[in-house]
Amino acid sequence: MSAFKQIQDQLRVAIREGNEEQATILAQRAVEMGIDPSLIFDECITPVLAQAGDQFARLEIFLPEVLLAADAAKAIFKVLEPVIQADEAVSVSLGKVIIGTVSGDVHEIGKNIVGIMLEVNGFSVKDLGRDVPVSAFLDTARDYQADIIAMSSLLTTSMPYIRDLVNLIKDTGENKRFKTLIGGGPVTSEWAAAIGADGYGKDATEAVKVAKQMVGA
Amino acid sequence: MRNASRLIEILDRMENGPGIIEKDFDSLIMKRIPELVNEFEIKFYGENFVNTDDAMADRCYEAGLKLAEEAGVYCVSNNRRMIWSRREILDTIKWAPTSIVIGAGRDAHNEYRRDPEDPRRPTIICGPIGQTIPEDLFLPIMQSYFQEQIADTVITGTIETVYGRECRTKSPWEILSGWHEAELALTAAKRAGREGIAIGCVENANSDITELSATSYGAFRQTDWHHIAMISELKTDYMLLNKLTHLTKTDCILHSFYNPIYGGLAGGAEGLAVVTVAGLIMLQMIYMTTTHSQCPTHPFFLSNTAPPIIWSIGLSVQALSRNTPFMLDVLTSPVGGPCTKTVLYESAAIATTATVSGAARLMGVRSTVGKFRGHASGLEARFNGEVGYAAAGMKREKANEIVKQIVPKYLNQLDKEPKGKIFPEAYDMHTLRPRPEWLKMYDEAKEELSKIGLALK
Repeated sequence: MSAFKQIQDQLRVAIREGNEEQATILAQRAVEMGIDPSLIFDECITPVLAQAGDQFARLEIFLPEVLLAADAAKAIFKVLEPVIQADEAVSVSLGKVIIGTVSGDVHEIGKNIVGIMLEVNGFSVKDLGRDVPVSAFLDTARDYQADIIAMSSLLTTSMPYIRDLVNLIKDTGENKRFKTLIGGGPVTSEWAAAIGADGYGKDATEAVKVAKQMVGA
Repeated sequence: MRNASRLIEILDRMENGPGIIEKDFDSLIMKRIPELVNEFEIKFYGENFVNTDDAMADRCYEAGLKLAEEAGVYCVSNNRRMIWSRREILDTIKWAPTSIVIGAGRDAHNEYRRDPEDPRRPTIICGPIGQTIPEDLFLPIMQSYFQEQIADTVITGTIETVYGRECRTKSPWEILSGWHEAELALTAAKRAGREGIAIGCVENANSDITELSATSYGAFRQTDWHHIAMISELKTDYMLLNKLTHLTKTDCILHSFYNPIYGGLAGGAEGLAVVTVAGLIMLQMIYMTTTHSQCPTHPFFLSNTAPPIIWSIGLSVQALSRNTPFMLDVLTSPVGGPCTKTVLYESAAIATTATVSGAARLMGVRSTVGKFRGHASGLEARFNGEVGYAAAGMKREKANEIVKQIVPKYLNQLDKEPKGKIFPEAYDMHTLRPRPEWLKMYDEAKEELSKIGLALK
């Protein structure tokens, strides 16, 4: 049995159970054993997190379990990061997403769920929180070198701020650089198309699917 | 009211509570809820939708009280927890109002708290709360609710535009929309002959300034009642506390609202019930409200009619009605819209469960979970109220058997967005009466449900 096979199952269990401490120990052991980090991502982190995301989409498990799994995966990443930086060939992220609830709206659990689902499906996600001004989305997208700007609104009266951002990105000529992905209670695919957003997610599962299409994954 | 004397104390707790970053507060909730669910042996088995176990309801109350005491409420504006000791919480709960008169004149309504299986009728609140209503339809749609004779009070929808202009939060347009809501709602009430009826408001006030403005002289009245929400889970902010401060100083009737998320930080049905109990207790602590409303929400369908959520609603209402003097409210938030039987079946499941569990008031119906503009009508609200009347005094065992027969009638529709028809297609716009097609569905649903034990008259 290869060195990797010995540790693979244990790492998967640690992620699935959200055992951050065990995940860290196992990742350190993997580094000491000289295991290729890409194997850990491809065979442990990605499939287990994707499975957690699928289970959550069917509500077989709930958000706390998904969050714990994601935290365990982050703990592994922290250990592997120095090794990965030394090996640029290793790709650990499908793309970078910034996400937030737009100005005037403090509802964010739906947005949080989308963010977590994107994360467990392989995206790097920066969550700006709730009531986020239009300019803050764009500023952060530039700094973070995001691929996708994801916006949510549960209020009809906050939806105009989504359109403002879509228009601002066009006005600054950055609509090729940043894809816009929108959603939230009153937001529909028709409205998304009407304002020129690049994508719409009815729910977290659909948002992940659309985001993957956006980055060609 | 005597329970409204704590404003300074509340603001002190807001300012001086222990600091914590939001993620750590979320972790605290996320970690503690499953522990409490286990400790207090709260279990949803899946086969019953209406809880019939008083001991479990009482344990759920204890678990919720413990969570309320340990977590408090997080103020996101200053990163502090607003906390009270168990003794302070219990001392406050005991002074919560048990009845109130809302509205005025001939339309004044005396509402009161209820117990599980209480034979008295619940208060019926008709209205498309949280639903976007096109401006040109606002008056007729709202009139369709005001004219329902079962309505003890009406709650307004959200106007899509104001004088044809786009409305956006925190802007002068939003303030104007609050006033527009008052003008149109009061006109609709008058047209329906219900001038004095209490109105739930200001539903266009996402920001504090609109709430303040539309609660000024000439807009909404002191006989109306005002909504203040909690941010999920167990959070508030300065904007909401600004509303509280103004409404308290202007002697308004306060109504709280909490929509915890099923499958979210609280986990499954059991955790949802515990966090709902904690949330409604803390709403009394931070907002001093007269009535306490809940609408647990499905993370994908946005409705509250999925079986685990129905069970959680019943358990949490029973927990609180058995152990506190609270006047409890349940919002019906179905996926179905007008001209679908789905909306009627979903309403029946929620209204039955809430009524037999001790809800004092039934609110709704937020058809299509508020997603589809103008897909709302008074008829589904009438049906929701009629089910409440039919279920008053019913034993929970019988209600459980009825709900078990209702749920399969709509379960496969929950992910289909059965939005039905927009108001002008559901109602005759000249007479403001339901069109024959919609009325036929309503009659058929009543007959079907009567056959399974809901004595709908």
